[in-house]
Amino acid sequence: MKERLDLGRAVREALPAYEASSSLQAWALEEARKFDLQSLPQPEPLSHPLRSRGWRLSHWPIAASLVIAVAAGWGAGVLWPGSRITSVTNATTSELVDAHVRSLLPGHLVDVESSDRHTVKPWFAGKTDIAPTVIDLSDKGFPLLGGRLDYVNGHTAAVLTYRRRGHTINLFIWRTSPDEPSDGSFAVRGYSLLHWSTAGLGLWAVSDAALSELEAFQRAYMQ
Amino acid sequence: MSHVGEQVEVGHVGSPGVGRFERVVLPHLSAGFTLAMYLTGNKADAEDAVQEAILRAVRYFSTLRDEDARAWFLTIVRRVCFTAYRTDRPQGTDMMSIDAAGPQLVDHRDQPDVAAERMQVQQRVRAAVDQLPPLLRETVVLRELQSCSYAEVAAVTEVPIGTVMSRLSRARARLAVLLNDVVDFGDVA
Repeated sequence: MKERLDLGRAVREALPAYEASSSLQAWALEEARKFDLQSLPQPEPLSHPLRSRGWRLSHWPIAASLVIAVAAGWGAGVLWPGSRITSVTNATTSELVDAHVRSLLPGHLVDVESSDRHTVKPWFAGKTDIAPTVIDLSDKGFPLLGGRLDYVNGHTAAVLTYRRRGHTINLFIWRTSPDEPSDGSFAVRGYSLLHWSTAGLGLWAVSDAALSELEAFQRAYMQ
Repeated sequence: MSHVGEQVEVGHVGSPGVGRFERVVLPHLSAGFTLAMYLTGNKADAEDAVQEAILRAVRYFSTLRDEDARAWFLTIVRRVCFTAYRTDRPQGTDMMSIDAAGPQLVDHRDQPDVAAERMQVQQRVRAAVDQLPPLLRETVVLRELQSCSYAEVAAVTEVPIGTVMSRLSRARARLAVLLNDVVDFGDVA
């Protein structure tokens, strides 16, 4: 017995529409809100007195905390780190942050899960053309979680993953290229990045931890 | 230089820029996931593709000009699927299993044998759509399942409207052959 069906009806009746899983939805919502927060419109100039005043009032606490933080920084004899953070949105830093965020999704963090450097280091052999230094830094407060491979802005990267007080630090390592950005620290979409080069390798530490934590991590790793 | 100006301009379209990406793009997350499911054929790749698409969408949000955010987001999902995931895998391998395909539309007022027959027809239609080449399959899914206009399908698949129409008619002809014994396509068969 034949049924007379047009294509549209046959397809609509037979094919399910899928719903994104709740974890995917939650992750996307978080990304969206993070992005939307950053793209808040700049306060308009004085032509709108009421809005302008509202903005100033609402920003008083931030301004006050900045003053306090700077004062505290001077008091402690350290430089205010903000002066060294250049907000750069070039391709490398942006892709590094993407790769970092992606790594935090379930099942994406490490390909080889081990705190044993003798397991992680050989794992990279044959998968990359570099032999990164793999050390567990548990005794310095940065336990090694494992390693994985990633592909960032044209680089095949060896990635070492460390933990710092509930924060994940991804250390991306690749062979430096002529256009390698110079060493420094960056703030991109709320994440901190610290970049340095050594022995022909470019290293990028990426985390949502504070930049000072990344600097402590850098010291520990390079010792 | 002009990019900066454009970004600012776009940021001010409509009312406040606050929550704009969330409001404009996120409602189409499941549409994107559905397209990715039909293009990659499995849930893990589809989820990865949608995640990647969201990251790209955030980065290129300033390029969204008009209000058709669905077509814009689906275009990104499709590009990710075609570049990052194999959508050209041989027919029949690693396709969605029937079990994973979700609940079926069964009218419980039907007699059991009628319901069973309808179910069988639906399974055949699904298998036939899975067998279509990716370019025909996506056209069918966008047009018939997601009710996109011809113009939207053309925008998402990045071809002229005429190509969309010819793909639809080729898809229809192939389905008519594959489903010859269960579905009467009338004008085509």
